[in-house]
Amino acid sequence: MTTNLPKPMEALKKLLADAPARINGAATIAELDVCENDLIGRTSPIAAARRTLGQINDDAERAATGKEINDVASQIHAMIDARRAVVETAEESDRLVKDAVDVTLPGRRPERGTHHVIQSTTDEIVDIFVGLGYTVATGPEAETEFYNFTALNIPRTHPSRAESDTLYLDYGDDEDQILLRTHTSPMQARYMEQHDPPAYVVVPGRVFRADAVDATHSPVFTQLEGLAVDENITLGDLKGTLAAFAKQFFGSDTQVKFIPHYFPFTEPSAEMHAYTNGRWIELLGCGMVHPAVFEHVGYDPGRYTGFAFGMGMERMAMVRHGITDLRTLLDADRRVLEQYQ
Amino acid sequence: MKLTRSWIDDFVSVPTDDPVELLEAFERLGHEIEAWHPIEPAFRGVVVGKVLDVAPHPNADKVRVTQVDVGSETLEIICGAWNFEAGAVVPVAVPGAVLGEDFEITRREIRGVVSNGMICSEIELGLGDEADGIMVLNDDYPASADAIGENFAEFMGLPDIFYEINVTPNRPDCLSVYGLCRDLAALYQVPIRDQNISVDASGEPNDVEVTIEVPELCGRFAGRRVRGITVGASPHWIRWRLTQAGVRPISNVVDASNYAMIEYGYPTHAFDVDRLGTTISVRLATEGESIVTLDDQERTLTSRDLVVTDGSQPVAIGGVMGGASTEVHDGTTDVFIEAAYWDPATILVSSKRLDLRSEASKRFERGADPSFCPKGADRVAQLLTDIAGGVPAPDPVDVNPADVQPWTITYPLSETERILGVALDAETTTDLLGRLSFVVSGTDPLTVTVPTRRPDVQRPVDLVEEIARLHGFADIPDSVPSGPGGGLPYEERRLRRIREVMVGAGYFQTMTFSFIGDTDLDKLALPEGHVARSGIAVVNPLNDTEGVMRTTLLPGMLKAAASALGRGVGESRLFEIGKVFLSGGAKLPDQPDRLGLILAGRTTATWDVPSSEFTIYDATGTWEVLSTALNIPDASLRQASAPIFHPGRCAEVLIGDVVVGTLGEVHPSVARSFGLHGRVVAGEIDLAELLIDRGPWQYKSPSIFPPSIFDMAFIVNGAVPGASVVAASAVSNLIERSDIFDVFEDDSIGAGKKSIAIRFTLRATDRTLTDQEVAPIRKQIAEAVADSVGGELRGEL
Repeated sequence: MTTNLPKPMEALKKLLADAPARINGAATIAELDVCENDLIGRTSPIAAARRTLGQINDDAERAATGKEINDVASQIHAMIDARRAVVETAEESDRLVKDAVDVTLPGRRPERGTHHVIQSTTDEIVDIFVGLGYTVATGPEAETEFYNFTALNIPRTHPSRAESDTLYLDYGDDEDQILLRTHTSPMQARYMEQHDPPAYVVVPGRVFRADAVDATHSPVFTQLEGLAVDENITLGDLKGTLAAFAKQFFGSDTQVKFIPHYFPFTEPSAEMHAYTNGRWIELLGCGMVHPAVFEHVGYDPGRYTGFAFGMGMERMAMVRHGITDLRTLLDADRRVLEQYQ
Repeated sequence: MKLTRSWIDDFVSVPTDDPVELLEAFERLGHEIEAWHPIEPAFRGVVVGKVLDVAPHPNADKVRVTQVDVGSETLEIICGAWNFEAGAVVPVAVPGAVLGEDFEITRREIRGVVSNGMICSEIELGLGDEADGIMVLNDDYPASADAIGENFAEFMGLPDIFYEINVTPNRPDCLSVYGLCRDLAALYQVPIRDQNISVDASGEPNDVEVTIEVPELCGRFAGRRVRGITVGASPHWIRWRLTQAGVRPISNVVDASNYAMIEYGYPTHAFDVDRLGTTISVRLATEGESIVTLDDQERTLTSRDLVVTDGSQPVAIGGVMGGASTEVHDGTTDVFIEAAYWDPATILVSSKRLDLRSEASKRFERGADPSFCPKGADRVAQLLTDIAGGVPAPDPVDVNPADVQPWTITYPLSETERILGVALDAETTTDLLGRLSFVVSGTDPLTVTVPTRRPDVQRPVDLVEEIARLHGFADIPDSVPSGPGGGLPYEERRLRRIREVMVGAGYFQTMTFSFIGDTDLDKLALPEGHVARSGIAVVNPLNDTEGVMRTTLLPGMLKAAASALGRGVGESRLFEIGKVFLSGGAKLPDQPDRLGLILAGRTTATWDVPSSEFTIYDATGTWEVLSTALNIPDASLRQASAPIFHPGRCAEVLIGDVVVGTLGEVHPSVARSFGLHGRVVAGEIDLAELLIDRGPWQYKSPSIFPPSIFDMAFIVNGAVPGASVVAASAVSNLIERSDIFDVFEDDSIGAGKKSIAIRFTLRATDRTLTDQEVAPIRKQIAEAVADSVGGELRGEL
């Protein structure tokens, strides 16, 4: 049979034998493309061999020859494909090496600001009480003397009403003067006037005192008032609620103690102290709503009892974040604000 | 209230020596400790000695040679003081003693004689200011005669403990050592040691007559006449205790009054009877009447001030301060001790108006105990007998028109459980209240009689407080009730969203003061009559920069930005949410919530992005993000000019037809007046419209069909807003997006003209758009833009 082999087939055998060396000699995709064209392209011996098939009259022989040509072609194809994969991988590797960058250069950073620490502190504390079933209310910062003092059982002669303590506004000519509220407590009265019991509410907001700015004072600061009024609310509920708050806010091992205190609008009254960072610190004032306050807003003090508390957001934030000077919180320096994460 | 442990020990045996335990006991009672510290002797090795002999020094005439018995031996000591003779009992620093930090006493020779120690003065021992002579203990401390050889520090009760206690305003009865001890005795269930307050009644009868013209304001006026006193320095023990209590020793008469006040809480006043005469009358001052007070100030009075008179002229402002004309002086021998009960509110008003807050007025304005008046005067008389040689009159003065008696409260036992959450039976309750000297009878309800020293106890809840204090807050079990829920109201959630958007857009929240200065409004260059010009004044501002309530957030924020940039920080991106205060509300000022923003300085250059200034588009872009995040579809901007802002770079923010705010670049002259340079971007938006509940957003299914995208460019007059071109081009609901991607002005398109290029994205929800469908829309767009804004299409249709 060998001697009867048509000449083109001899060439193909040689082509096949030479192909691995040629294909593997191609180092780039471009060289491989040339090689592919030479081996199986339109001017290749394989194309030439296919063109001779027509001259074979014997169907069986033509088919056999055709199969042989295709076998050669597909073997070369496979070799080229294999080589192409290798070369492509190598070329991409080279390209990626050249594409390398210094990843330590600053990234393209989307600008992001921060919430003020007083805001995030307030939000977090509000959320703790929302989790206990409280809602949120806010009220006017310019308030009447009535709501700020009288409705809260603060006598007409109480020193806190003095201009040395309270900032008054030149507004209107009513005998009930307009002032900048000195605490968020006026909302106790306003909220109870507007809502029937039970009342479970926290009131965050700005308050004002006639204090010059120093490391521990500011004429403007932020309080959060809490009020829970219902049938059967007791001092035990007050203690349990505020202890739960302290644990959630400062950590589950936070200890608290309640020291009897005095506020005109609560009785009994207390200050809650918490043990944190190795010392006892005064955190907030609280107490059982005074019956006189209920009488002012039309709640029946014989049926309802309640507790109220007020805490300074500045103090909470300072204790928690190690801020020792209140003036830090007034600073709009970006280097300060950036820390408020 | 400042006091020492040794003073407490006079009245009550506290069963602990631990200063912290005592501190905690005070706290449990509601007496917060402001400060405390041990009082250590400033010396070691000093003993009580007795001078046996005093002889001249052979070689020196300014010092003397003494023989001093120090118990174990007799020491020869050289002493330079001359205020003593043989028999004096004195503190002796024996060799080896140390005074102060490190002054060690040794045997040393003084002009040929060896001195075996040192006899000490107050100042050398840190026990007072007296430096002129040595301490002679015989008269001041009679017990010293039996203490020869004892450790002097121990003899003086050192070390001691100092406590400063914040007495709450409802407890005037605790503005005294005795009052605080009464609370301690109740807590520890130990007896209080009452001193025997009585006077030696051997003197001449009283000759001072008292009348009260205003019994409703001076409910009681008690007193004691004391004759034959010698004014001088008080004994050391009084001066030492007063000093610890924060009261400066003056003279024995003044010190006796102060000592009795610290001890029992009742303020008294001593008149020099030779100057006063024998008539005392209490009335209201006449308007404009004047008196020179003890501090040598002339005070003008009003008809609301109480005065004590000598029958005609004021000799004291009742309950506030004595007058100079009847003041006790060095030569005073006869005094009248006043102990009166004054109306608390009147004293408060007078002392504040006169700016004369004193230890006395503090006690009267909170409510002294009218029952104690006679004892208050007698305690001073007793002290004057002991320390000033005074001889009291046998008959007291006591004019008592008010005759305040203990009152009763009916107390149902259920109140305890209702308020505190613990049930206490009648026996326990009676015990607790009885410890405080409340007289309790009955079982349920209890009838509780309240002593007159407790004006704070008027209704059942006041008794609940007493029960809680003595039962112990810590012994009330905790519980955590839950509210009915409700969560964050819608407005609060919107506010949080706004803040989150601003933070996400690169702004830092700031909180500036709610007041500004008048000059800040001037700097804004607001026209006359502008609503933001007429800020509501603070009546009693702390300073000029805080005299007006802010009518806009911008000045405070501009100041904050300028201050921050002034520290060399390259950029300031701030937002604030807060109230402004505007005239207009009927009762209260209008207090709308606003959002303010400021962008100032330059962005920091990075290796791939150069530094740049902020422009109005940073602000308008922020608004676009914000209005999208708040689901406000009818938000828009329009060119505007407004005070504060750059006339050509200012936009009004609209929701529907309502202008809700202004954004833009700050007018350069306004920016400069705040110390800011370069472009400064600012904005202020009223939040009311932003907080309106717009309901939940509704889903729109995006089309899955491919879009048809084409660009069109229009030449329009330079004044035509880009937004108008986009609005005009909205001819078909197949237009999914229309984005302006190029704007330019060039002579080639005509002077005063600009080209606006828009990329249109069209898409149908149910099919792929064909060229046949899109072509007519292009035509409609071109026509609509031409019709409504005169836009001329560039290139072919």
